[in-house]
Formats: sequence, C-alpha cells, structure tokens
Amino acid sequence: MFQIHCPHCGATREEEEFSYAGEAYIPRPANPEEATEAEWGDYLFMRKNTRGWFWEQWQHTAGCRKVFAVKRNTVSYEIAGTWTLAAGKELYLKESEA
Amino acid sequence: MPNFQPYLQSPLVNFNLPALTVPADASQKVRANELPLLGYIVLRGDLSDAAVAQAISQATGLAVPAASRFSSGEAGVLIWQSPDECLLITARAAVPALLAACGKHFDGLFAQAVDNSGGLTTVYLSGVEHVTLLRHLGVYDFESIEAGDAASTVLGKAGGLVCRVDGDGVFLVIRRSFADYLWLLITKAAIPYRFAVAKLPSAGKSPFLRLVDAGSPSKRPVAA
Repeated sequence: MFQIHCPHCGATREEEEFSYAGEAYIPRPANPEEATEAEWGDYLFMRKNTRGWFWEQWQHTAGCRKVFAVKRNTVSYEIAGTWTLAAGKELYLKESEA
Repeated sequence: MPNFQPYLQSPLVNFNLPALTVPADASQKVRANELPLLGYIVLRGDLSDAAVAQAISQATGLAVPAASRFSSGEAGVLIWQSPDECLLITARAAVPALLAACGKHFDGLFAQAVDNSGGLTTVYLSGVEHVTLLRHLGVYDFESIEAGDAASTVLGKAGGLVCRVDGDGVFLVIRRSFADYLWLLITKAAIPYRFAVAKLPSAGKSPFLRLVDAGSPSKRPVAA
C-alpha cells in the first residue's frame, strides 16, 4: 500500500482510492489507415515491463475520476512525482530523448 | 398506459427508517438518519473557465467552490467533485427551475446540467463517536475533514462524499445502488457505540437539513 498525490484534487490519498491505468504515453499510430498489422500489434499489446523508473497512468476513481501520470519505481515503489497528463508528457519526452 | 402511476421512493425505503426513528439523546454515541428525496444536479464544465464559473454562479446563486470544498446558499449546496464537475444538492421541488436556469445560462458554453436526483441519497451521521465510526468504513483521515470540506473517498467498497458543516456530524452523499450496502455497514459498525436512528435535528441554518421537505414521506406520487 502506498499514498499517491492527485494533481487534480491537490491532495495525497491512499492507494485504495485509485485504479491503475497502465503504461503512460503510448502513441497511437499516426496514420491508422496505413499502419501495418505489426504496428497495431505493438500499439495494442506490447508494453515495456520496466524494472526501475516507469511512467504509468493512475485514475483517481473514488475522487475526481481523472487519469494522471505517475513516475514510479517498480522495484522500490518510490514515487518521483505525479502530474496531469499534459504536464507529465513534456517531462516524459525530455527524459526519453536524453 | 392508464395504470401507470409513477412514484418516488427513498433508496432506503426497505429499512422503514421513519418508523424506527427515536428522539436524539446523549447516550447515543452514533446517530444516523436519511435526508430522503433531495434533488441532485450534476454540473459539468471547466471550472477554471471564468465564463463557466460565472454561468454556474448566476444560475444557482452559489459561488463555485475550491477543490474538495463546498459552498452553500439559498439554492442549496454546491460541492466540488473534479476540475470540471460540481454536484448541486437542492430541495426536490426546486430541481426543474434550477435545470431551466442552468440551461439558460449555459447556452453557448461547453457546459451541461444533468438531473441525477434518482441516483443519490444523503445520510446524516452524528454523535460523539461519528468520526470513529467513519474510521471503520474507510481509509481517509476523517478527523482532518473541517467545516466546509467535501471529501470524496471510499466507504467500504463503495464511493461516497463526506461533507462537514459543523462539529456535530457529517453528511454522507452516497449512490442509490450502494445505499442498502452502506446503511447495513454503518448499522453493523455502529453496534458498539449505542447506535440509534435518531430524529434529524431542527434545520436551523444547516444548508443540508433545510432542504428536506417538512414531513417528507419516504414514498410519494409524482405528477405525470
């Protein structure tokens, strides 16, 4: 059990109030009409399964019901921070470029 | 349909609360009762948009609340639920007029007012041990809820809103579909605290209690 800060409510709440919503920032194929089956397969089924720092989505189901981005360490469960999806994406892109 | 006779009934009608109600006294450390058949309107729209916030204020006469807070006034109680959603609790009879007012003021805006009166109900929980009882139900730090706060959290396995007006008690806004479950959970958890279904206190200036119609029955016919 851990506590998560909801960027929309501005409050830190118990994990029980939240639902896990998978890996964050998976881009949909840019040209859906022309995407190959392999690209669709990647988009739908392939996930990173990272050991260490991982960008993921959580939904505050018992509160504001908004989905937001969390950077969490999958080994230690430490949370580096939580952001709205828009605010987190900038950081995520900066990190993935580096 | 000549035999169609629509009626309203409280989600807790099967517990027959009006018949169980006793006068409140100090020996009851946890008291609960339902505020039956209130009106609930969901207001959607980006609250950080000044035009939407102004339209909500003009339609309801209530200030748009800050995060996890509620505001109150003549029309009832306006509870913050998310950055783009508020819940307006009002007297059942006032719902059509408020919906019409919202429709008028929301014209041209990306905002919406939806009547959800059939979907929710409110329970008043009071007595010296009411916070202890809440701790039986959920993981939230219930003692941190101050007057004017509205915490949306987990009660048992169901979601619920916990609103505090004063130190005497809290108002739980719960879903119709979970009302039976939560009422049973409250009554079971409250056994050690001399639980009683107590008469609601006189409305006074309480923004919630004064929304209950005097002598409100748990079941009433609806004009078709």
